Amino acid sequence: MKVEETSPEVSVEIAEKVPGVNFGSLKSQKRREVITAWLFSAPSLTLLVVFLIVPFVMAFIFSLTDQRLIPNRYVPTAFIGLRNYLRLFSDDAFYRAIFNNFLFAIVVVPTQTAFALLLAVLINQNLKGVRIFRTIYFSPVVITMVVVAVVWSNLFNPGQGFINQFLKFISFGRIKPPGWLTDTHYAFPAIMILSVWQGVGFQMIIFLAGLQDIPAELYEAARVDGANKQQQFWLVTLPQLKNTTIFVFLTTTILAFKLFTQVWVLTKGGPQNSTMTTIVLLYRQGFIQLNVGYSSTIAVVFFFIVLMISILQRVFLKEQRR
Amino acid sequence: MARSKRIKVKTVMIFKNFIKYFILIALALFFLFPVVFMFVSSVKTNEMQVVSDMSSFRGFIPYGALGIKNYINVFREMHFGRFMFNSLFITSITVLAGMVFNSMLAFSLARLHFKGQRFIVSIVVALMIIPIESVVIPMLLMVNTVGWIDSYQVQIFPFIAEPFFIFLFYQFFIGIPYDFDEAAVVDGATPSMIYSRIIVPLSRPVFASVLILQSMFRWNEFLWPLMVTQGPKYRPLTVAMQQFFSQDPRLWGEIFAFASMVTLPLLILFLFFQKWFIQSVASSGIKG
Amino acid sequence: MKKLFCILLALLIFVPLFAGGKQEATGAGKGPVVITVWFHSGKGEERAVLNAQVKEFNSMQNEVQVKAIMLPEGSYNQQVSAASLAGKLPDLLDFDGPNLYNYAWSGHLIPLDPYISTDLKSDLLPSIVAQGTYGGKMYALGTFDSGLAIWGNKAYLKEAGLRIPTGIKDPWDLNEFNTALKKLKALDKVTYPITFKMNYGQGEWYTYGFSPIIQSFGGDLINRSNYQSADGVLNGPESVAAMKWFQSLFKDGYANVKPAGDDDFYGKKTAALSYVGHWMYGPISKGLPGNFVLLPMPEFGKKVVTGMGSWCWGITTKSKHPKAAWKFLSYLMQPSQILLMTNANGAVPARKSALALSKLYGKNGTLELFAEQLNAGLGMPRPKTPAYPTITTAFAEAVQNIVTGADVKTQLDKAAAKIDQNIKDNNGYPIHK
Repeated sequence: MKVEETSPEVSVEIAEKVPGVNFGSLKSQKRREVITAWLFSAPSLTLLVVFLIVPFVMAFIFSLTDQRLIPNRYVPTAFIGLRNYLRLFSDDAFYRAIFNNFLFAIVVVPTQTAFALLLAVLINQNLKGVRIFRTIYFSPVVITMVVVAVVWSNLFNPGQGFINQFLKFISFGRIKPPGWLTDTHYAFPAIMILSVWQGVGFQMIIFLAGLQDIPAELYEAARVDGANKQQQFWLVTLPQLKNTTIFVFLTTTILAFKLFTQVWVLTKGGPQNSTMTTIVLLYRQGFIQLNVGYSSTIAVVFFFIVLMISILQRVFLKEQRR
Repeated sequence: MARSKRIKVKTVMIFKNFIKYFILIALALFFLFPVVFMFVSSVKTNEMQVVSDMSSFRGFIPYGALGIKNYINVFREMHFGRFMFNSLFITSITVLAGMVFNSMLAFSLARLHFKGQRFIVSIVVALMIIPIESVVIPMLLMVNTVGWIDSYQVQIFPFIAEPFFIFLFYQFFIGIPYDFDEAAVVDGATPSMIYSRIIVPLSRPVFASVLILQSMFRWNEFLWPLMVTQGPKYRPLTVAMQQFFSQDPRLWGEIFAFASMVTLPLLILFLFFQKWFIQSVASSGIKG
Repeated sequence: MKKLFCILLALLIFVPLFAGGKQEATGAGKGPVVITVWFHSGKGEERAVLNAQVKEFNSMQNEVQVKAIMLPEGSYNQQVSAASLAGKLPDLLDFDGPNLYNYAWSGHLIPLDPYISTDLKSDLLPSIVAQGTYGGKMYALGTFDSGLAIWGNKAYLKEAGLRIPTGIKDPWDLNEFNTALKKLKALDKVTYPITFKMNYGQGEWYTYGFSPIIQSFGGDLINRSNYQSADGVLNGPESVAAMKWFQSLFKDGYANVKPAGDDDFYGKKTAALSYVGHWMYGPISKGLPGNFVLLPMPEFGKKVVTGMGSWCWGITTKSKHPKAAWKFLSYLMQPSQILLMTNANGAVPARKSALALSKLYGKNGTLELFAEQLNAGLGMPRPKTPAYPTITTAFAEAVQNIVTGADVKTQLDKAAAKIDQNIKDNNGYPIHK
């Protein structure tokens, strides 16, 4: 089975006719099959409709109104047409949020993927004790993101934090360390660093599995052809890992667009919107400013952006396959 | 001649290995230092020392007044046990229900025949691109109408069915050969027997992957409980951690003790089931 | 598998019942009336005092039992919104002063006028009354208030040969203030003569701390005659002049936009003046023992204005036992209880009778000036309108951009437009009586 088919963004060929067993030609047997099928489908389908489709439709409707989170007896909810959309498209915070999501995707996704691949190659060697390192590299993955953010906020403390003291130490005091989370230029990079730290182990494992799936004969053949280690990596390993890489790329991209937890714990989108993300803005507008209509507008636009990315990925990957 | 060459090769080997280990250890330090820092600081009972050690390598050395005072204080000041229970309860019920219901839907889509089947499959695929984060605000208004705010069910129900997992199951089930089914049908098996006696036992890897992935997602959930929990009664660890952290004055010793208690059980669990855990994660990326 | 399925179904049905059933336990039955009280978990000392007060109150009588729930300050507002959305507000809760108007307008609070005796009312600081009143009714009572002034380094002030005002009657005016800054900057040890606590970052401090400057110049955040528009006021000539002057302090090197830490004034002693509230008494008295002096807010043009307002208590419309809630609130408002709290958190006691007994704020107390300013009515409540959350966000953003060099008029225009838009979106926040 190909990796493309497990990832949400890739085109899915649904079987024309579901192959399967004939449970019998009797009417009663047929009916039992249908009844079972619906019974089996009902719980999940109901939940999907209630908790995904209905709220999504509601978001569409709310985006055309000035719905408040807490209804007020003096100001009833009104239909306001496209006002929310017009305002959103002149909202600096929104552009900043979208920009940051893309920035995160563009910087973190390749970095993290490359880093994960490097780690996987390192621990795929025949060395003593290499499994201990695998465990260590993977361990941040099991730490809750909130805890990760809290611990790193201490390390990033501008005055006393370990990271700045370490920077001073290794540069003999020549580096003037930044204010990290309090500085508009460094706050988002700081969040990127801790996100990579936490997440890279996960992808490393997926790459490792990919590496171990590569048939040894391929390396053998390459060696016979006179390829050295480096050439083997570029000519055998990378092409063989194509599907794995695509999977890692896609999942990280989705995570980049959902970015919320670490930002909320550390900066809440500040200083001066420098760490604003779409979900942070959506939460702030909906839950803090109580502006459900506007928040829903963000949700709708956000959905279209994600949709566009999925379509682009599909087109791009189809191109690749040819 | 030959011998000196061999020695040379050997030295090169040793040197190469040395470099390799050097890189491995440097990276290990990068991944370990925040964790070690957290554990070490949590057992330092003098808050002044925790703060002054923050800025140097002393932060990694357990010395001075050590003890579990910070841990005791966390328990005394807040309902840590309650938060832990809430997180465990919510995660386990959601994941358990999720595995059963999602696999059941996937089963009927992949192995049974009924009208509307193809349509449902395409709906599930389409739903995969709606991030649940984007619909939280309307969902909040919705669950409020049934009085669910601040409860367990509000943190469980919305996350049971997940299109991505349904799809993982679907892919796996479609790949299972039909020989077994046929034999079973000849023996008079009903569709639900096929599910429970053939498909589920044959699908352990995909169940394991979903178990791991969904548990991780649920355990880390932050945005939704931040909105729908009020008191400590139904609050999960993530939100409790963030609120403890944003409280004034910030006592780092206790914060690290809290963080350690959140982390330690999972870390131990991971170390015990490491092989299985890593296999499941690995197979989630490779096979469907 | 089937078994598991059955168990799951049972659990899913059982959990809601179980969770729902638990909540209805309160209320009914005889015995003491149980009221729920929410309070923000502020500083450690504040928390400790309130917990002790709850304990004492519960043990000294048996009619009302208080169940206090502490909520983190950072997300307090959201918690209140979510609770009011769910109809689960407590009987009594505390909140930061300027939020009162939105809460009252949204119908979360009941007027306290029937409960407040004339004696109590006349004993309150004028600022407490001003803050608690909305639409002619009193919705909230604070047990303490806050104050804003300028702390000075005595030695530096003397070295520069500056006049030290004796009280609120002879504050510096704009000229004297500017000259003082110039002279102080000339001192060797001083790098930036004044600190404006920019390290607090963009947030409520900007509105609390810097709107008095605008008001002293004769401007304001909003037209207070009907609270319908900020246009022409927030971006009017007085406000623009005030913010231009404020911006020049940073541009000309009199104040630091990005201080490295909190302690330029009391620790490093590179600043001679510190423009901040009463809450810095602790660190300042420790860092500059016997070497600090409290200067009244300057008169920048039209009048003297100080910051004011703090957390206060209100009874919610959801309360089934407002009388019981009042009983606890009136206990907290006793002068002795007020003093317990203010001695712990260092704030200005809310009652004149308590003030008189306070060591810090009483006659000849170190911080008497704060009480004097508030007593003289120099405090101006932050705009009393449900639009306040929008006003403060818009203003703080403008301040942040202004101090980092943006054009003053443009920024204030933008803020005024945002505020007016919010008011318009809400039909002017009408109150039907």
